[in-house]
Amino acid sequence: MHINVNGEDRVIGDDVDPRTPLLWVLRDHLGLVGAKYGCGIAQCGACTVHVDGKPVRSCQLTIDNVGNRAVTTIEAIGNTSNGARIQAAWIDIAVPQCGYCQAGQIMSATALLNRTPNPDDADIDAAMAGNICRCGTYIRIRQAIKNAATKSV
Amino acid sequence: MRTIGIAIAVVVVIAAGFAAWLVLIPAPMAFARGSTVVLSDYTGANPTGVPKELARTDLIKRGEYLAHAADCIACHTAPGAPAYAGGVAFNVPMIGTIYSTNITPDKDTGIGNYTDQQFLAALHNGVRRDGQLLYPAMSYTSYAYMTDADALAIKAYLFSLPAVHAPPKSDKIAWPFSQHSLLAAWNFIYKPNERFRPNPSMSVEWNRGAYLAEAMGHCGECHTPRNLAFALNNRQKFAGALTAGWRAYNISADKASGLGDWTDKDLATYLSTGHADGHGGSAGPMGEATDNSLTFLTPGDIQALVVYLRSIPSEQTDLPRTVDVPAPASYREGASAALDPRGAMIFASACASCHDWTGVSPTSKYATLTGVRAVNDPSATNVAQTVINGVTRKTAEGTIFMPAFGDGYSNADIAAVSNFVTARFGAEGGHLTEKDIVSLRKLAAQQ
Repeated sequence: MHINVNGEDRVIGDDVDPRTPLLWVLRDHLGLVGAKYGCGIAQCGACTVHVDGKPVRSCQLTIDNVGNRAVTTIEAIGNTSNGARIQAAWIDIAVPQCGYCQAGQIMSATALLNRTPNPDDADIDAAMAGNICRCGTYIRIRQAIKNAATKSV
Repeated sequence: MRTIGIAIAVVVVIAAGFAAWLVLIPAPMAFARGSTVVLSDYTGANPTGVPKELARTDLIKRGEYLAHAADCIACHTAPGAPAYAGGVAFNVPMIGTIYSTNITPDKDTGIGNYTDQQFLAALHNGVRRDGQLLYPAMSYTSYAYMTDADALAIKAYLFSLPAVHAPPKSDKIAWPFSQHSLLAAWNFIYKPNERFRPNPSMSVEWNRGAYLAEAMGHCGECHTPRNLAFALNNRQKFAGALTAGWRAYNISADKASGLGDWTDKDLATYLSTGHADGHGGSAGPMGEATDNSLTFLTPGDIQALVVYLRSIPSEQTDLPRTVDVPAPASYREGASAALDPRGAMIFASACASCHDWTGVSPTSKYATLTGVRAVNDPSATNVAQTVINGVTRKTAEGTIFMPAFGDGYSNADIAAVSNFVTARFGAEGGHLTEKDIVSLRKLAAQQ
């Protein structure tokens, strides 16, 4: 089995069940541990990656359902222009507290900017509502998204 | 005096006509052309028993296949409890709660002391070992069509299972329905007194499908509406009904509201796997019927069911044609927050990550909402039930899972998100209220 991760064709060993969630293949087989395991039922967003540009919860996506689609993880999102802007904006106002959810937050925020270059509050709500932050950094997340959209950080 | 006499006569005639209409319901297979014969006179391939692949297996194996086909386990296994030990609650509005019984071979609390004749009496006639009449929640009016040989093969299978000590729960039935003598009258009118009769003018496959659908799978028990006496009204065969708080949909041949627009291939795939692209997947009671029963059927038997389903007369109901195009990619377009801010907000936080704003899931085909009947049902009943109860299905492709939100969200939230989902992805939005959700929860509770 092959999957395309961060622009590279990666071979997945035959020992891996095709029903394995992408999250575990990324973390345990490919060493990409940026995406986090949070709830395991697509209700927290900590495991978010991009699949053909869409934010997807990798804990619920089996690798046989990935197919030929391109997977991008937090490890490579900084290579895209909006990913780099979001990350810089995050650093600029020190968004994270504990940080556990932040890879997922950044992936969802980058997908938002890709679709909607100047998001208003409603756009941010609709795109980010599924990413939960137990530390409550939502105010800084909202600000950083707006900064990334409007300033050249 | 004379006018009064005429008036009374008119009332009597109308009452008699109404009673006749209530009583004289066509038999489940009466819609088919041609006349039927007793099984022994039928010259085609035997439509009863196990398929030829299993013909040489032992009695218990054959009984296992038939028990799956008759889906005994669905009603006789409570959530989290041992298989076949009973205790599932059936909440019937106005009548009360009926509990399914322990059909493991336990001698004290199960059917361990049943003789063959007693087992047949229960299955065919709804008579318990002690002579008491069962409520037709036990689908003996369907099993009446099962052959003795098949029924006894099922008994042999059940008797091969571990005995479980599980005392029966007492039914809670309101008067007058608590009077068992009423059941004798009901049985006299509504219980078939014959085994399955093949129809030589129909194909061999049709006859096998009819046997599987009527005598074994008892599809009509959920999918056929009931009359005032709670008997299946075969004048509207397979036109859909509300059962245990879930809507069993119209599976007649009508193009818009039934299965008329499904291809044979989609129908066979749906029956055997519980999913067909463009139509979505089964959940709730049909999810159970899929995983407990239909997935065990051989491809030949599935094909026979398809042939039979295809022959059901078209029965148009008020369900709209399903919308088969995805919703807009942006949450701002289509049925949006302006329509239902609360529903949209809940969808954004709890649903959009798997179902997407388009309804086409980037995660799993099982999570795609486009074209799904439940989403295209303006009553929003099954959407609400799925939100409340979630989905846990065991399939060949692994576990299909959606979290149950019933404990985490208020009734108002569940109503709002169900109305939003039907409006955004279906033909017409629902109008569920908090009260409706309370009632749906009660009806679907299995314990």
